[in-house]
Amino acid sequence: MLKEHVYSVSELNSKARGILEKNFGSVWLKGEISNLVRAPSGHLYFTIKDKASEIAAARFKGHSALLPASALKNGMEILSFGRLTIYEPRGRYQFIVSLIQPAGLGALQLTFERLKEKLKTEGLFDAGHKKPISPFPHRIGVITSPAGAAIRDILSTLERRWPLIEVFLFPSAVQGDCAADEIVSAIACAEAFSSTQANLDLLILGRGGGSLEDLAVFNDEQVARSIFLCPIPIVSAVGHEIDFTIADFVADLRAPTPSAAAELVTPNRTEQLGILSSWIAQTVRHLDTMLDRRTRRLQRSLKGYIFQIPNRKVERLNQDLDFRLGEILRRTSEAWKKRSREGTRLEGFLRLSDPTLPFRRGYSLTFPLGKPIPLRDAASLSPGQCIETRLQRGSIISQVEEVTAG
Amino acid sequence: MKIDEALKKLEQITKHLEENDLPLEKALSLFEEGLALATTIKSELDQAKLKIQQVMEKAKGVFSLEDFDLQ
Repeated sequence: MLKEHVYSVSELNSKARGILEKNFGSVWLKGEISNLVRAPSGHLYFTIKDKASEIAAARFKGHSALLPASALKNGMEILSFGRLTIYEPRGRYQFIVSLIQPAGLGALQLTFERLKEKLKTEGLFDAGHKKPISPFPHRIGVITSPAGAAIRDILSTLERRWPLIEVFLFPSAVQGDCAADEIVSAIACAEAFSSTQANLDLLILGRGGGSLEDLAVFNDEQVARSIFLCPIPIVSAVGHEIDFTIADFVADLRAPTPSAAAELVTPNRTEQLGILSSWIAQTVRHLDTMLDRRTRRLQRSLKGYIFQIPNRKVERLNQDLDFRLGEILRRTSEAWKKRSREGTRLEGFLRLSDPTLPFRRGYSLTFPLGKPIPLRDAASLSPGQCIETRLQRGSIISQVEEVTAG
Repeated sequence: MKIDEALKKLEQITKHLEENDLPLEKALSLFEEGLALATTIKSELDQAKLKIQQVMEKAKGVFSLEDFDLQ
């Protein structure tokens, strides 16, 4: 007698699961969400249904999605992508969702792609049309909502990096039904302002992050055309990570966030200050080398000269020339040292911001009267000599009464 | 002078300074000029404060400016 195979429950579930997974793989599933449960683990359990049937579904935490978990609601029409399986311990047939988006999005995406293709064909994205952005902008226009996070981020970045800028805010809604019209008229307003009032070096157009629907205005055709036609360079600054918007493609420069836009269009104050100090240091070194070269040249020509003088005059002339050469060198190097001291002092000034600080603390400098080099050693003085002491305010001339060597 | 012009000037001075047969006196006076520029730029950068104004077009070609303060 042929014996029928008797399955255990585990065996049956396991085999059924194998067949299901093998035959279906991953599929797209459209339906309405119901019985949504958010587990403390972050996983979502729900039912996807249509008029006649339903299926259990789960979305595990960590799966990226076009729609954040918080946006999912009962009754929502969705399009999901996932795999069909059986949860063996319960014999439960279910759909594991890996991608989920509002059912209407397919159409939205299609419109986006069509518009992108159309504008691209018209040449709106061509690199040749991109206007260059000045590396040292003086006036920047910002088109965004006065109440949003974007303006805050832009201003704090500008303040930190390059506060020499004048910012003009052209307020506009950046989401909702009126947003497209408002952005178009804000761009027009900025254009008119720039040509009649104060020339703007560039415009930043943007908003902070948001859902796909929130960002829809940056995929608007009218907005795209306004950006293209605007004679002022425009930097797009829409805080989103998933994809580019049409505004990003048509703008003269694209920044991934509003603060990144502010960063891209400004020099860095700290860097510029560094450049200034190293300029001073380099120039001081350069002048040093020049002086050395000149000294050597003078010494060389002096030697050559001596050989042409009759012997008996040599000694006298030699002394004379030595004296003159010494005089030239001394004068040049004194002038040089004076300037070099100024240079060093200014370099310190650039570094510390305030050279008068030690004076304000009560320190003073003492010079032998009429000499430029401050005193460091009491032993270099003798009683009766005059000295000059410079204080925070004014100076004192005094006579040395007693010297105590240190 | 605007800051970018000052920086450009400084760059020109540097180029000039690097010329081969520049007399020392000329070099020193260029250096002095450069130092003055550097000091001006530095103090401008230190004192600068961001100016923010909100622009509204009241009527065609008529603009109103208001100081903009973040709360």
